[in-house]
Amino acid sequence: MTDFKQIENNLKKEAKKLLESAEVPVVLAYTRGYDEKHPMPFAAKSVADVEKIVFNEYCNFNMARYIMRFPDAAKIAIAAKAADSRALVVLIQEEKVRREDLVILGIPASGMKDPKTDQLIDSRTTGGLYNPVEYDILLGEEIRGQKTVSPYAVLADYEAMDKEARWAFWKGQLDKCIRCYACRKACPMCYCDPCFIDQNKPRWADKAPQSPGNMMYHLTRFHHLAGRCIDCGECSRACPVGIPLYLFHKKVAKECEEMFGQAAGMKLEDKPVLVDFRVEDSDQILK
Amino acid sequence: MLKKISIKKINDLAAALMEKGTLLAPVKEAAGHNFAEIKDPQQLDLDYYNTIVSPKTVFLPQKEDFVRYETAKPVAEAQPVALNIKATFLFGVRPCDAKSFQIMDIHFHASGIIDPYWQQRRDATVIFGSAFDLDIPAQDADFYQTLGIGAADPEGSDVFMVKKGEDLLMKAITPQGEEILARLAMLGEGKPADKKYFEEYIKKGSQHQTRNMCLDPQVIAKKLEDIFHSGEFWQAQSAACLSCGICTFVCPTCYCFDICDDTLFSRGVRRRVWDACMFTDFTLEASGHNPRTHVYQRLRQKVCHKYSFHVRKYGVISCVGCGRCTRYCPVNIDIYSIIQDAMKA
Amino acid sequence: MINKNPYIPIPMKVIKIIDEVDTRDIKTFRLSFLNKEDEASFKYLPGQFAELSIYGKGESPIGIASSPTEKGYIEFTVMRMGTVVPGTVTSALHDLDEGAQIGIRGPLGNSWPIEFLEKKNVVVVGGGFAFTTLRSLVNYILHEDNRKRFGEITVIYGARNPGLLLYKNELAAWQKRSDIKTIITVDKGDESWQGREGFVPAVCKEIAPSPQNAVTVICGPPVMIRFTLPVFFELGFSKENILTSLEMRMKCGIGKCGRCNVGYKYVCSDGPVFSLADLEELLRDFATYK
Repeated sequence: MTDFKQIENNLKKEAKKLLESAEVPVVLAYTRGYDEKHPMPFAAKSVADVEKIVFNEYCNFNMARYIMRFPDAAKIAIAAKAADSRALVVLIQEEKVRREDLVILGIPASGMKDPKTDQLIDSRTTGGLYNPVEYDILLGEEIRGQKTVSPYAVLADYEAMDKEARWAFWKGQLDKCIRCYACRKACPMCYCDPCFIDQNKPRWADKAPQSPGNMMYHLTRFHHLAGRCIDCGECSRACPVGIPLYLFHKKVAKECEEMFGQAAGMKLEDKPVLVDFRVEDSDQILK
Repeated sequence: MLKKISIKKINDLAAALMEKGTLLAPVKEAAGHNFAEIKDPQQLDLDYYNTIVSPKTVFLPQKEDFVRYETAKPVAEAQPVALNIKATFLFGVRPCDAKSFQIMDIHFHASGIIDPYWQQRRDATVIFGSAFDLDIPAQDADFYQTLGIGAADPEGSDVFMVKKGEDLLMKAITPQGEEILARLAMLGEGKPADKKYFEEYIKKGSQHQTRNMCLDPQVIAKKLEDIFHSGEFWQAQSAACLSCGICTFVCPTCYCFDICDDTLFSRGVRRRVWDACMFTDFTLEASGHNPRTHVYQRLRQKVCHKYSFHVRKYGVISCVGCGRCTRYCPVNIDIYSIIQDAMKA
Repeated sequence: MINKNPYIPIPMKVIKIIDEVDTRDIKTFRLSFLNKEDEASFKYLPGQFAELSIYGKGESPIGIASSPTEKGYIEFTVMRMGTVVPGTVTSALHDLDEGAQIGIRGPLGNSWPIEFLEKKNVVVVGGGFAFTTLRSLVNYILHEDNRKRFGEITVIYGARNPGLLLYKNELAAWQKRSDIKTIITVDKGDESWQGREGFVPAVCKEIAPSPQNAVTVICGPPVMIRFTLPVFFELGFSKENILTSLEMRMKCGIGKCGRCNVGYKYVCSDGPVFSLADLEELLRDFATYK
């Protein structure tokens, strides 16, 4: 079990060092929200801020989401769990941020929980990794010996459905959408400005929360994240009406991995699968 | 008038109301309850805390069609969409939400030009308010007490309902409430002991603890004006904000909307659709100029609209402390804490 | 209810289209009512606006350029926005021919405060395209039924070049009248330009209207307003006696949709006309942009 207190202390220690030495102007971490169960993403900008940093099992936000909010900062330190680190790797690959401009404070963590349901966050709704794939400093013991379940195992029921059933499933799910756009806003990979759905000349989809527009928004977003989604599950946790968005992302991720032998954001030296071409690439995608 | 019905027979009540009009009540969905039309009396479910989205959807639906048009035809031939309002029973509204209708009435009903859609829907609807269960502690996010609303506050309801053991007590609060209760034959008469229980429950409700601070509308309105320019304050408060629309969409007193034309192959509908001041393009002008480009400006707009501008314009805070914005915020931004910090700033 | 629904436009017919400027991107549309009852209920004052509506494109808030003293029609002067990206309301309007139908919702907003202006000297200052509701005001005041209710009228109107002046025939007619002082200026004239050259703020300074019992009504591009306001302060105009009209992203036009609020005021229903005293309080929302 992860020693959350130990990680919090290490996080504070490293944040303090970095801010004191002025090596970075900002450390992205977590702070207490309105109670302990509801922490918040936090940008510590001074040594005095360091005391406000917390880390517990509810700190499941993907902090990579905030990395582009500080265009003036020469260097940013960021607390990164496994999924956050994968998101950072994709952002580096996509040249949204440079590796040398980051100090990645890696957090190995298992036992993270969703405050809404108190359920364990694991490979059912996320990539199910425990250790960051890329870091400068590791703030706790690397987690070993955990039972690993494939992040795609949860797809069994979904894959058992035929085409019509899948369409009906998604139509039913996406009809619930109220178009609050929390999914894209919580997503570390959704940085388009403006997002296609906000463009109004021409408008790609109706603004009203009804079938055609909802489909247009979600299916386009799903596909725009093909080969890029790092399966952090933030979109699904953010959704106020409980749409299991992770299922689609997992399905696409699985197909990408099968076709191109590479999962998103695992290695810095990888190229994003959909912008890379190799002669030996699967042509399954064209069928 | 105090009536009662055995909770076991609540489905009979549902059936009777369905005969008389449209019955809307909290219905269980994947992520929680939401107000929806009851199609089968068995659907009526009293086992909920509060709905995800507020019942403002009943009077201000997320999409409201105004007029159907064909782009190739003259404007005069466009067809306004008829409302076809039927008698509606909105069942199981929590006291904070019932109060929110009164706040929204000021904006849509009682000031300036009357919004015909809001007004007609409102006039056709009887509100069956329902007390929170006082045996269950209020959820952490709630703070309706701060806004002067009790957990069993009948204000804003036409009929107010309180559970008493196996029975549901129903008291008429307004003439509309009297009328509908008189027409429901399956209801029994409340006994003196029921009356006593009802009155005591309401009193006890005002003591039911939610997060609470002493808040004078004029004081907080002025305070927010004073710190409006404190970039530091607003940037710190909005550091985590994702600028999504959850808080405004689930809110019972957020009403901002957009008017859009949706055309497909020359036929189309002009309609209003909820919009959110938290969206990047909310204030984007045709020229490309956007007066609110930063997240902090948008969060500030939201908070100040509710706790300052609304007070200056209409005299009341436009928040009922239902806690939805806090409960559903993906990053746990809490308007109560922001107001608390503002008072200290 | 349907007729009274404030969200549903009334149909109007385009009876005349006037190309106002050399660049051909500003046109005046003269509209007549299709229904007599709409005409009877459309009572407006100078400074009010309406939502011009093209189904399929949307709506655009435009100031009314005609004066209520002109009967049987209303006029709007519209600049084509977004020439690069077609599909906007204004470009759709520009593509219309005479005889076409459009929808309008209005009149909306407050107006130039006619009662407040009565018995006072009025200094009208306009720049470029933002002269439309000022033209409405001037024509209203000049009407024989109204003229004696107002003091001296001074109009200072400027454009970048002579080709960009709106309402050229009317300006010429005003210049011939003795009951209005009309000063037209251009930033840069051409060979045929006989009139004044110079920026509006400089001309205001030179003309130096007296602040005695006077109100100034200013509309123009932000840069013009920025440099003109200090001139009027120096002349001694108080903030209550300097009026302007705001443009915001107005949608519903009736104070409901929450889009155009500046502080606790809705530009569409509490404005668009504000005094500088009002604005100083309100514009704080906009002052810190960066």
